[in-house]
Amino acid sequence: MTSAFSYAVWAILGLALIVVWARSSVRGSTLARPGMVLERLATGPFLRIALVLAWGWMGWHLFAR
Amino acid sequence: MLVLVAYALFAASTTAFTRSANIATALPIVAVVVLAVMRWPLRPRPLALGPDAGHPWRAWACVFGAVVLWELAEYAARGSRADHPTLSSMLDAVNRFYGLKAIVFFLWLYLGAAIVRRGGRRQRRARSEAL
Repeated sequence: MTSAFSYAVWAILGLALIVVWARSSVRGSTLARPGMVLERLATGPFLRIALVLAWGWMGWHLFAR
Repeated sequence: MLVLVAYALFAASTTAFTRSANIATALPIVAVVVLAVMRWPLRPRPLALGPDAGHPWRAWACVFGAVVLWELAEYAARGSRADHPTLSSMLDAVNRFYGLKAIVFFLWLYLGAAIVRRGGRRQRRARSEAL
């Protein structure tokens, strides 16, 4: 398997994310909008702790280390 | 917003694995933790949508689940990172360019601010309705 396959899967996942995002923005859609997803995570008793930890870890991993 | 842009432009000028990068990254993390402790309710009520909402989270959970699974598969795969890129290895390539790194850093800061805001929003809404 070459890197082309890996990048293709990443591209498909990125496209899927854009499609879900776009569909959630359509009026009358049953999909939650990104802000609602974030609010659901940020108001969960345990999820909110995981969310802040994941956000902090992501920043540290990407910019500091 | 301007503060976030200015901070991202400053932080993007630091180099990973240096003290300045550590400090530039640690400050927003500390700020978000402090703001979350100050602004978020002690006992939050998770956002719940009505019974007519269908499955509002399912598609998001599927996409993010697939991303996590593929990230883990790529991370654990044998071979070079070039053959099995992970999200962080791809973003490392992006971060080599100052302008792109500033954009990524800004998006990270914006997400942190949104997390704090969204976590306290329902409490503020309930408080304003009570008045």
